[in-house]
Amino acid sequence: MKKVLIYIDPQAVKDSIDLLEAAEQIYGAGESLSYGIVPGTPPADVFGVFDKLISVSPDRAEGFDAAYIADSIEKLHRDFQFDAVLIPATVFGRMIAPRAAMRLQTGLVADVTEIRHHDEEIVMVRPAFSGRMLAGIVNRGGAPVMMSVRQNIFSYAGPRTKKTEEINFNPEPFRKPGIRYISSQPKPQDEDIRESNVLVSGGDGVTRYFDQLNELAEVLNGSVSASRKVVDRGAAPRHIQVGQSGKIVNPSLYIALGISGSIQHVVGIKNAENIIAVNPDRQAPICSLSNIVVEADAREFIPRIIKRIRKGEYK
Amino acid sequence: MKIICFVKLVPDVENFKYDYERNVLVRENVHQILNPEDCSALSVALKLKQENIDVQVETLTMGPEGCRPHLEDLIKRGVDRSILISDKSYVGSDTYVTSRIISRYLEREAFDWIFSGTHSIDGGTAHVPSQVAECLNIPQMGNILRINQAGLFSDRVRTEVDSEDAVLQFEIERPAILSFQYSTKIKLPYIKYEDLERDVSGQLEIVSNSRLRFCDTETGIAGSPTKVSQVEVDSFGRKDTRFLKCDDEGIEEVYQFLKQRGIVCS
Repeated sequence: MKKVLIYIDPQAVKDSIDLLEAAEQIYGAGESLSYGIVPGTPPADVFGVFDKLISVSPDRAEGFDAAYIADSIEKLHRDFQFDAVLIPATVFGRMIAPRAAMRLQTGLVADVTEIRHHDEEIVMVRPAFSGRMLAGIVNRGGAPVMMSVRQNIFSYAGPRTKKTEEINFNPEPFRKPGIRYISSQPKPQDEDIRESNVLVSGGDGVTRYFDQLNELAEVLNGSVSASRKVVDRGAAPRHIQVGQSGKIVNPSLYIALGISGSIQHVVGIKNAENIIAVNPDRQAPICSLSNIVVEADAREFIPRIIKRIRKGEYK
Repeated sequence: MKIICFVKLVPDVENFKYDYERNVLVRENVHQILNPEDCSALSVALKLKQENIDVQVETLTMGPEGCRPHLEDLIKRGVDRSILISDKSYVGSDTYVTSRIISRYLEREAFDWIFSGTHSIDGGTAHVPSQVAECLNIPQMGNILRINQAGLFSDRVRTEVDSEDAVLQFEIERPAILSFQYSTKIKLPYIKYEDLERDVSGQLEIVSNSRLRFCDTETGIAGSPTKVSQVEVDSFGRKDTRFLKCDDEGIEEVYQFLKQRGIVCS
């Protein structure tokens, strides 16, 4: 039986559980034992889905000390000899994974979005530097196979009734922490664009009247998102940014207003079911990805479509 | 106080063009630019230097010798010294090997802080700052929005970090690697007119493997534990795109499309 260690990020528990699906794609359903490592008290959701659970650092700042978690992973690997270590590509997951890989002296693949198999090798697929290319990467070093996994790509639908065994973990003291947690200020919770069924997204072409997107999002019962250029110009907050350096989204409908569709951006909407682009330039890259292209300025389109929707079926 | 800034030269991916006819990415004539997040980090360091005479700023780059003009440009903007780690045997190194190379150089250098971006726009793995920190056994923090600059002159600095659901505050002990997010608020200083033609080659140093002394099997493609096995163009073009005008007919068609898919109900 293969052994897979999964880091459970307390700030992204669902994303961490979803990595069980990645583990199943690597070794097959039911072919691996899952070990969850979690800083602090384990959240209730993880019981029943992991086979084993190891809680570390009850008295350290909840997983923010990447060096401490990396030391724990190394120690656990010595004890259990994992075949794979999977870490969600969250803000802290992305700091923990590289350190842990260095400690385990193994290669690390970042932001994996797909698992393939080729000649008995595990191929980890990630968007390559261009964003528009996919690179399949293999680990030729020794075990374990290690990757950080992009959020919102895999989705775990397996059993939640396992008898989770908690493993006692009392390692010798690790290095002294160089990071001290002071405080946390929550960001508004109601705006996770990844959970929206409809996204009304604005790009460079709408920077100056970005506010107008709100009304369209409202009539469609969706949320507003933005391209990187808009965020960089300060017209929209970073947490609603879509794309390689923002969030990967998978709404039923993505309306791209004034977005040309740079490769960086397109990576983030690959899984959108339907795309409507509004762009005066029919040669813009976004157009060839869209079900519908309205060749117009978004400023002209927004009020007209709002009016039509409000009117309903009967004219 | 000495700050070493990691600076990576990356292709300007925003200006890549995609050739849909041939299904290839057009990579010819794409300019190299400074990685934007590294640029933000360097700008913070140079601003600090402008305001405090005892701040020394160095850049550290790994890449081909073709990076030279960019680094000379940075020296003219106020960088005291630029180091370019460059060796044919390093070409093709993955992040694990790159981090080991950079760390070996840094092991013999004195510094107070290292600044870097969090991600690069090309690979975007964000591995190197964390892995160098691991090799040097010092703290590292990514996604930094702001720092309390006065703290840089003491033993610990307070940072604000952009995390999933919250903005977190941490105190980081010196020496450490501080990896910044992109910011539009701070830019590199301009080059002064009298510095435009200044010969700065004396402030640029090339470090090769004759100094760092890795074996051939430790670096490059041969030494890297990860290997790219397949590269393919991810084509998600649709064939059935409908082009509409923003007239009554076009709007009606969009509306019917939304209705069919249950986005709006009548």
